[in-house]
Amino acid sequence: MYSSDGEVLRELSLRGQEDWDALESARFFRRALEDGRIVATEEVEPGVLRHERLPFVSYPYEWPFEMLREAALLQLELLDEALSEGFVLKDGSPYNVQWRGSEPVFVDVGSFERLREGEPWAGYRQFCALFLYPLMLQAYRGVAPQPFLRGSLEGIEPSQARALLPRFRRGVLTHVVLHDRLEAKHAARERDVRSELKAAGFKKELIQANVRRLRKLVQRLSPNGRSEWAGYREAAPYTDEDAERKERFVRAAGASRLAWDLGANDGRFSRALEAEYVVAVDGDERVVGELYRALRAEGSKTILPLVVDLADSSPARGWRGVERRRLEERGRPDLVLCLALVHHLAIGRNVPFAELVGWLRSLGARLVIEFADRDDPMVRRLLAAKRAEVHESYGRDEFERALREGFQIARSEELGSGTRTLYLANPRL
Amino acid sequence: MVPLNYLDAGSGSMLLQIVLGGVAAIGVTAKLTWRRFLRTLRIRRDDDET
Repeated sequence: MYSSDGEVLRELSLRGQEDWDALESARFFRRALEDGRIVATEEVEPGVLRHERLPFVSYPYEWPFEMLREAALLQLELLDEALSEGFVLKDGSPYNVQWRGSEPVFVDVGSFERLREGEPWAGYRQFCALFLYPLMLQAYRGVAPQPFLRGSLEGIEPSQARALLPRFRRGVLTHVVLHDRLEAKHAARERDVRSELKAAGFKKELIQANVRRLRKLVQRLSPNGRSEWAGYREAAPYTDEDAERKERFVRAAGASRLAWDLGANDGRFSRALEAEYVVAVDGDERVVGELYRALRAEGSKTILPLVVDLADSSPARGWRGVERRRLEERGRPDLVLCLALVHHLAIGRNVPFAELVGWLRSLGARLVIEFADRDDPMVRRLLAAKRAEVHESYGRDEFERALREGFQIARSEELGSGTRTLYLANPRL
Repeated sequence: MVPLNYLDAGSGSMLLQIVLGGVAAIGVTAKLTWRRFLRTLRIRRDDDET
């Protein structure tokens, strides 16, 4: 895979070319291309494929439960259809899935290959480690799996899953406990299991039965876990009038190509934006899960919700740190919304104003930012948890001084509550 | 040369897929067990293909 002049191209190996020739005419593949479940792909010259460019790349450790489940179901659905026509997926990785807003898209066309008679699904273990166990962890234990997925690109191993998951919940005895036992038992043996299975008559119906059971299992898993901020807008000290003024202010920021909504919560302001595409970021997994569910129901293809803690955002990962990129390296926004966020970062996470403004300036985009002063109820709540002298310099003047270092303030508006101010600012050149 | 797969499936994971194959797996399991049994009795060699 490589990118050239904004195009996403894939060079095929000899075997890859043979697989592509067969795949191109497969009914399931054409159907999935047409309905957008597989990324639009065409052969531009022999051995070179060109793919549709999706607006923003994201990774499984940035997806809430609902997105990981949706990606898992897409993968299983395509695998089931592929098996019926003599194809299989080489792997079972969520990194094969990207998003068109709330719609999952399978992007790794090279993962499909012709099924070799007598061989099991090579991606089953990976599917467990990167999809099934993380989903089970949240469904059965109420533990969000994103830190695990970010911690290891290989996901959760069967032995780890066995230690973490309750034994007597649906699917655990087979996919976790037995999986770990068989793996431990066969780790030291030099036996050619692949040939043994082939000789014993392993057939695709076995993979299909497993895939169908996995689909049922995954469909039944539902998110579990507490949220700090779900329902925040209801509990927040905004009047409806202030929320509407905010919405008008955001609209007046004008059109943009790629907008980032930082601290997006229920996505109200992401929806108000006049942007071709919005990356809606929030640090609370349950809040983003709810937002995703709403966007999916609306059929949104222009807002991508992601779980990102801005005080500890997605780092570079994988081999030499180049396989998975930092958030900022995956497409620069031309408009950034930063509403009801400054006080959480400045007080809750101790990020100095100058640091915060410096980072926002580095994005090089127009900025809509909200500041809540010391009299604001939410700020008072955050300050109450801190020692009195720690945030003595938290105030509007100090904030504006820092903002002016990186931006020119084009417009500002005080909200009716009297404790919050909105700014539209352009980056200083 | 056979090109490398993306993944090494893992022997334990491959065997588990028989268990997860449901009804379709009965015949395969019986055959696999029988072949292993014969091998234990040294009636069949490891590299016997058929």
